[in-house]
Amino acid sequence: MIVRFPWTISAIMGCLWPILAIAQVDLPSTLKVEKGTPQTICESGIPSSWRDAQIIDGVDIQESRICNPDDPAIIAAVVKGTNNVSMKTFMEVGLAADSIIKKDDIDGDGDPDRIIIKLEVIELNGYSPDFKGPDTTFDIAPGIQPGMWVFAPKTRGMSTLDIESNQANPLLRAPSPVIRVEQGDSVSIVLENGHYFPHTIHLHGVDHPFVDSSGEGNDGVPQTSEGLVMPGESRTYNIKPRQTGAMVYHCHVQTHVHLAMGLVGMFIIEENRPDNWVQTLNIGAGQVRHPAAAIREDFNQEYDLHYHALDKELHSIIQSANDPRLIAKKMNREYDLTDSSEDYHTLNGRSFPYTLFESLITVDPDEKVKIRLFNSQGETLAMHTHGHKATITHYDGIEHNPAAQITRDVYDLAPAQRMDLTLDTTNDGLHNYGEGIWIFHDHREKGITTDGMNPGGNISAVVYKKYLTEEGMPKVQGIDLAAYFTKEFQQRSYPVWQDADEWNSLGEVDTTEKGNRETADGSVVSEEAHNVNTPQTDRNSFRNLFVGLLAGLLLYFIIVRREQVMKLINSRMNGKGVDE
Amino acid sequence: MKLRLLPFLGIFALSAVGHAKEQQPDFVDHDTMLMDHGNGHLMNMDGGMVMGQNKEILPGGCKRISDNKELTIKAGHKFAKPFPGRMFAFDQQELRYKPCTRLTIHLINEDNIRHQFMMHGLPKYIYPRGMFHLEVTGPGKISGTLIFPSGDQTFLYHCDIAQHMGKGMKGQIIIGKGSGTLPSIPGISALAIPDSYDRQTIEKREPDEHVVPVEKKSAPLISGIFVIGLALGLLVAPILARRYKGMTASEIGTDVLSLVKSGASGILQFISWLAGLLGGQKKEF
Repeated sequence: MIVRFPWTISAIMGCLWPILAIAQVDLPSTLKVEKGTPQTICESGIPSSWRDAQIIDGVDIQESRICNPDDPAIIAAVVKGTNNVSMKTFMEVGLAADSIIKKDDIDGDGDPDRIIIKLEVIELNGYSPDFKGPDTTFDIAPGIQPGMWVFAPKTRGMSTLDIESNQANPLLRAPSPVIRVEQGDSVSIVLENGHYFPHTIHLHGVDHPFVDSSGEGNDGVPQTSEGLVMPGESRTYNIKPRQTGAMVYHCHVQTHVHLAMGLVGMFIIEENRPDNWVQTLNIGAGQVRHPAAAIREDFNQEYDLHYHALDKELHSIIQSANDPRLIAKKMNREYDLTDSSEDYHTLNGRSFPYTLFESLITVDPDEKVKIRLFNSQGETLAMHTHGHKATITHYDGIEHNPAAQITRDVYDLAPAQRMDLTLDTTNDGLHNYGEGIWIFHDHREKGITTDGMNPGGNISAVVYKKYLTEEGMPKVQGIDLAAYFTKEFQQRSYPVWQDADEWNSLGEVDTTEKGNRETADGSVVSEEAHNVNTPQTDRNSFRNLFVGLLAGLLLYFIIVRREQVMKLINSRMNGKGVDE
Repeated sequence: MKLRLLPFLGIFALSAVGHAKEQQPDFVDHDTMLMDHGNGHLMNMDGGMVMGQNKEILPGGCKRISDNKELTIKAGHKFAKPFPGRMFAFDQQELRYKPCTRLTIHLINEDNIRHQFMMHGLPKYIYPRGMFHLEVTGPGKISGTLIFPSGDQTFLYHCDIAQHMGKGMKGQIIIGKGSGTLPSIPGISALAIPDSYDRQTIEKREPDEHVVPVEKKSAPLISGIFVIGLALGLLVAPILARRYKGMTASEIGTDVLSLVKSGASGILQFISWLAGLLGGQKKEF
C-alpha cells in the first residue's frame, strides 16, 4: 500500500499538469500605469490681462493670446530702456537699473540712437555643494533639467523666484535673449562675466569693426582679436551696424561646447525709421510684442524662432562637480564632441509640451506674419509647417531676389543659418488650407523627440484664434495632452498609447505576476502589481523552486505518515483540551 | 573732485567720455545717490541697491542697541585666490557680534561685475521677507545698516547671483554663541557635498528631480516556479523514500554526505583531467 502511494501521487500530478501548463501558455495581463500629476508652468498665476493689447509708458504692446505671454511691463522696460521707463514699471521688473540704456537721438528722428546693453552669463540647472539636485532650475520639459549657460539681461536681486524656491526668475532662461537694434545705432554690448569660466561675445554676421576706436579687439575671438574675458571682468563691444537683417551673437571661447551650452542668441538689425523704438530684447524669444516700425508696415505680427539642441552628456558635466577645474577638465579635455549625439531639441528654450505654453504662433485668417528662424543646433534643421506654405524672403539676413523667392513647406537651415519667412494665412489652398491647429516642427525626426520620446522636441503649432481657449491652450480634438505634462511620460515609464481604447489593448504588459519578466526601466506601476528588477527576479525564481521542492517533500511525508501525523495532532488537541 | 562728480554723472558721463573709459570704469561710491523706495529699500540708477535697511527698530528681546559696529567687507574674484577650486569670494568668511548689535556694512566690490551681500532669516516683522541685502556693480561701494536680533544665532551671508555662493561667496556671522557652523564656507567648513578628485570615481550626479522613487516590494512566494518545485518535490520524494527506507537519520546524513563527496571528487577529477590535457601538451615542448 505504502509502496504504491508514490505512483498514485504521480498519476494525480499527471492529471494536474495540463492545468499548471496553462499558466505558462496564457499571456500576461495588461496593467494600468499611474500617470502622475501633470506638471504645468502655465498656471503660475499669470494675470490674464497680460495677454491683452495694451499701452504701458507710451509703448504699444500687441496682444499675445498664448498661455505664458511675456510680461507687458518687461516689454515696456526693454523698449524704453531702464533709464527712460517709469519708476512704477521699473519696480515691477527685475532688470538692473543700468541693464538697457537708450539715449541720444543723434539723427534727430525721434528715437534713441545710443544703446548700451549689459549682459551677464547665467548658469541654469547648475551644481550646488550645499544640496542635491540642480540649482537655479529651468525645466525644458516636465522634469527635464539639463545644465545650461545663457547670456541674460543684467538683473537685480535674487536669481531665483523667492527664498523658498529654487526656480530661476523669469528673466534668467533659455535661450539667450534676442537683441534688436536699429540700423545705424551706436550700440555697446557690455559683457559682465559673472560666470566661473572665461567667455567672449562674437557678433556673427553683424557689421562690426575688427577693433574699435580705442584699438580694443571687437570680434570676440580670444586668439585673434582679444584675450579671454575672465570671471569678474567685463568687456564692451562697440558697433554701428550699417546693414539690416537677422544675425547672431555667441561666445567664442571653446566655441564647440560653449555654443551648445546655450551661449548663443539672435541679433536683429531693423531698418531705420522715424520714431522707431525697437524692442531691444525679446527675452525667451517667441512673439515680438512691439515690432519695429518697418515690420509693422508690412506685417501683422512678428515671431523669433530659435532652434537649439542639447547633448545630455555635455549638459550633465556642470551638474557633476563644483570645482571649476574639474568641470573645465571634463568639458575641455574629456568630452569629445565628435562622438556626441543631440538628445534634447528645443524651440525658444523649451521642448514639447512646454512649447504649447510659449511658442505657439497665434493668428487670424488673412494675416501676414514675419518669422525669423535661427538654427543653433549642431545639425541641419528641416522645419515643416502643417497647413501652410511660407515664402522665404531672407537668407542670413540678406533679402533674396524678390522675383526668385521660394514658397515651400520645408525650410532647411544649416547650423548657424537664419531665414526670414512670410507666413500668409490667406486660405487659398497654397499659402494656407484654412483655419485649424497646424503644427510645425523639425522633420528630421529626432527633432520631434525628447531624448527619443515622441511627442517631444521642438514641436509647436500655428493656432487660429478660434481654436484657442481663454487660457491660450489649443482646443485639441485628439489624444488628451495631460500625460505629456508628466515626468512619467518624459522618463519613458508611461505607455504612449495607454487607454487609447476601451480595454487598453496597447497598455503596459504586467510582467511581474505571471511572466516574471521585467518592465523596461523599473518604473512605477499601479498598486496591484509590483516592480522587480532582473537579478531579483532570478533570485526569486530559484528561491520559489527550492521552497516548492521542500514543500513537496514535506507534503509527501505528511501523506505517507498521515496516520502518525493525525495521531500527533489528535494527542496535541486532546492534551490542549485537558489543559484547559 | 572728479570722484565726487562721477556718482552723479554715472554711466552716462562715462560713455560720453569714450569707450576706453567704459572698459575700466573708475571706482564709484553709490552711497550718495540712493533713492529711498520705503521699507528700507534704497536704489540708484547705476545698479546700487540696499534692501532691508534698519537703523532704528529694535528686534524683540533687545532692550537697547548693545553695540555699534562698522564692517568693511570686500568681494571679488581675487579674494578666491587662497581657496583653490573657488572662483569668487569675500575677503572675510567669519564674523562675530554681540546680540542686538547695530552693524553698518560697507560692501566694496573690486570686480567689474555685480556682487551681492545677502542675508536671510532675520525677523520678518522688521525685515521684509526676513532679508538684508546689498548689491553693487564694481568697482564700487555700497553701505547699509541693520540691527541683529537678541538670540544666539549663526547667519549666512552670500552672493545670490547664480553659482556665486557655490563657487565661494559664502560666509557666516555668529551672533552671541551662534547656532552652529554652516557648511561649504571657504577656509571654515567642508563642502556639504564634496567633489571627488579620484579620476576613476568622477561620475555624474543625478539630480533628484530625475529620479522617480520606485516602491520596492518582494515578489510573491506562491508562483508558477513554486508549483513546479512542489511537483518536483512530490515526484522525487518516493524515490528518496525507497532509497532511505529503514535507515536512521544519521545513516541518511552519511549517505548524503558521501554522495556529495563522490560528486565533488568527480568534478575535481574532471578538472584535473582538463588541466592534464593542457599540461601534457606543454611537457612535449
